[in-house]
Amino acid sequence: MYRFVLRRLLSGVLLLFVITTVAYVLLYAGGGDIARRIVGPTATDAQVAMKSSQLGLDRPLLIQYWEWLTKALTGDLGRSWFNGQLVSTGVSSRLSVTISLVLGAVIIAALISVVIGVWAAVRRGWVDRLVQFVGVMGFAIPGFLIALGLVSLFALNLKWFKATGYVPMTTSFGGWAATVTLPIIALSIGCIAAVVQQIRGSLIDALRQDYVRTLRARGLSFNRVVYKHVLRNAGGPALAVLAVQFIGLLGGAVIIEQIFALPGLGQITVAATGQGDIPVVMGVVVATAAIVVIVNLIIDLAQGWLNPKVRLS
Amino acid sequence: MMFRPTRMAAVVAAVALSLTGCAAGGETSANESSQTLTLGTLMAPKSFAAADSDFANVSPFYQAVYDTLIRMEPDGTLVPMLATEWKYNDDKTVLTLKLREGVKFTDGTGFNAEAAKQNLERFKAGTSADAQFLAALKNATAVDATTLELTLSAPDPAFLGYLSKDASFMQSPASFGNADIATNPVGSGPYVLDTAATVTGTSYAYKTNPDYWNKDLVHYENLVLNVYPEQTSLLSAVKSGTLNGSLIDISMVQEAEAAGYKNNAFEGNWVGLMLFDRAGTTNPALKDVRVRQALNYAFDTKALLEAVNQGRGTPTTQVFPPSSDAYDASLDSRYTYDPGKAKSLLAEAGYANGFTLQMPSTPLVNASIFTLITQQLKDIGVTVETVDAGNNFIADLLAAKYAASYMILEQQSDWQLINMKIAPNAAWNPYKYADPKVDDLIRKINVGTEDEQKTAAKELNKYIVEQAWFAPWYRPQNSFVTDAKTNVKLQTGNVYPYLWSFTPAS
Repeated sequence: MYRFVLRRLLSGVLLLFVITTVAYVLLYAGGGDIARRIVGPTATDAQVAMKSSQLGLDRPLLIQYWEWLTKALTGDLGRSWFNGQLVSTGVSSRLSVTISLVLGAVIIAALISVVIGVWAAVRRGWVDRLVQFVGVMGFAIPGFLIALGLVSLFALNLKWFKATGYVPMTTSFGGWAATVTLPIIALSIGCIAAVVQQIRGSLIDALRQDYVRTLRARGLSFNRVVYKHVLRNAGGPALAVLAVQFIGLLGGAVIIEQIFALPGLGQITVAATGQGDIPVVMGVVVATAAIVVIVNLIIDLAQGWLNPKVRLS
Repeated sequence: MMFRPTRMAAVVAAVALSLTGCAAGGETSANESSQTLTLGTLMAPKSFAAADSDFANVSPFYQAVYDTLIRMEPDGTLVPMLATEWKYNDDKTVLTLKLREGVKFTDGTGFNAEAAKQNLERFKAGTSADAQFLAALKNATAVDATTLELTLSAPDPAFLGYLSKDASFMQSPASFGNADIATNPVGSGPYVLDTAATVTGTSYAYKTNPDYWNKDLVHYENLVLNVYPEQTSLLSAVKSGTLNGSLIDISMVQEAEAAGYKNNAFEGNWVGLMLFDRAGTTNPALKDVRVRQALNYAFDTKALLEAVNQGRGTPTTQVFPPSSDAYDASLDSRYTYDPGKAKSLLAEAGYANGFTLQMPSTPLVNASIFTLITQQLKDIGVTVETVDAGNNFIADLLAAKYAASYMILEQQSDWQLINMKIAPNAAWNPYKYADPKVDDLIRKINVGTEDEQKTAAKELNKYIVEQAWFAPWYRPQNSFVTDAKTNVKLQTGNVYPYLWSFTPAS
């Protein structure tokens, strides 16, 4: 068990290294004249050169990368080239916003998917067909469109929720809920559509198994059979889909954060990438890659808990 | 993807605004309390360090924390701020300023002539996009604690105006070496940045400076400046009443008005083609004035204004604004849309079969503009080769990589405009094109009497239009919306109204 975790963590570190290297090279190659962009269109060439040497942009790529890497290993991700903020501060303060969105969306998606998936698999007939139909719609409608619709209906017309902005949970829980509810709903809909299909499919398969009939024959209630035994068997694949969705949601959050003007990772990712603010983009890459590694590890452990067959000694 | 065009439009708007220092404006209103002023902006400031500060779209971020030596009223009049009086010597090369006594920075350091001198020197040597504002500053001397003497290498008619902008933001000298100065400014301004409540890049919260020396300029207890890089979210913020005021894209004015906001419209930019290569270095055709005039005749500017800016704006052939001494309304009919005339001019110049013109495009600008340019020029026989310059659009233009290009630029005060677009060493004259007559007129504008300056400016504008240095289309309207609880006075020469121009509606 510990060896397994250790091995996954080690491969995670390797993955992190590869991702950051590739990201750095790509950013550098596509960066254009970053110093010019920082000092602005009317700056003189001397100013551009000064900024360039201030940031060390006039040195070879490998040396720049090495410096970034050695500092990053000590936890120093540098400062933003554009606003001078410490990257670690900027990324961590925004990470909490994005994580609360994505985590909220995944939890809601998991709960709703189980209910709807079970309902469809058990009832079949028109219920199933309806769920399938709505599911395809949920897939097909892009998240940002749902977000725009939600804003227009619940924030602008009914004024139940905030249209833009973010209130930290520590400041006011009510304020936080008013600002994150719509984004979470917008994010979770595509995710629900995906997970419901998975749960429904594997549940229908599992319900056909002999052990279900045996358990029922022994007098266990249908609900107990479904929720205690069948769902646990069907849960593995659903969990895998959920994990993929979680990582996908980190990307989806980029657009949702823009629409709701939430100070999350997506917002600085878009801004920093467009500007060529390499330290910030690298900070985001490190944070995102770390999340992916951790989520995968957690899912692997959860799979083991659900299904003893995949448990590692 | 329905999402892309909107986002792109937003980015483009932001770019245009930052470049030109002009933006769409709109006033929004509605806040829980008149004690807090909440404004929307399109971009966040870079560093808060005064030496690296910028202006235009980001001016409110800095004006909240830094005082300037001179203050500009909305109508452009210069009035005392940290300097109480100022005087030039006879040949306008030595400026002596008397400074206010008893002003303290928020870290307790006292403001004096030495602090002012250091700030000016640091700005000139810093990385602000406006560092050239102080290009003429040769020497700053603190004569005594309240007397500052500035020696200029040559007279600069715009110099006092620069001292009302970022060039004279006064930061506490004790904070020059602070490691966190980029995110934690220390000035003497009306507000103090609340770093705990601020999310850098997204939302900036300010609290009033309890010891501020000029309470008359402070109309709100708190100030919140929100950054909306995305127009959709800006519109949502306006429609939900989150903002008291904001610059908005012209396409959103109607919706903002429907939400109860007042539209304060203004024109501060011009849009069109810049014909850089007037000497024909890379494109020999542009050397002939008839070719450049043909390019002016080629565009149906009214239709372009309708197509690109919903008809909100005014067609023009001049780069100088109506407020300028150089402006001449009769010049606006100099090049009325006439493709036939354009063709015959091309034929006279020896280009009866047209020529090829390479111009850059960028994803930051509405793609339909480049299509329209190609179509309109095709009608007169000019083949446009569009090269995608991506994010390097501006840098490539300034590096003289293209003979001509679409651009949107600010219309500043005459002297500033001349030094930005017309003078031989101007940034937006990348081929460094010089014309003896233009040089002579510029000299007159610089050192002449007031009447001589006005006459020369008019003559210069007329000459530039006649010589077709540019092919302007129109001045697009911008809009700043405000809500019912907020009044604002728009600012001459700046896209964003100055902070003290916002007042609660009674």
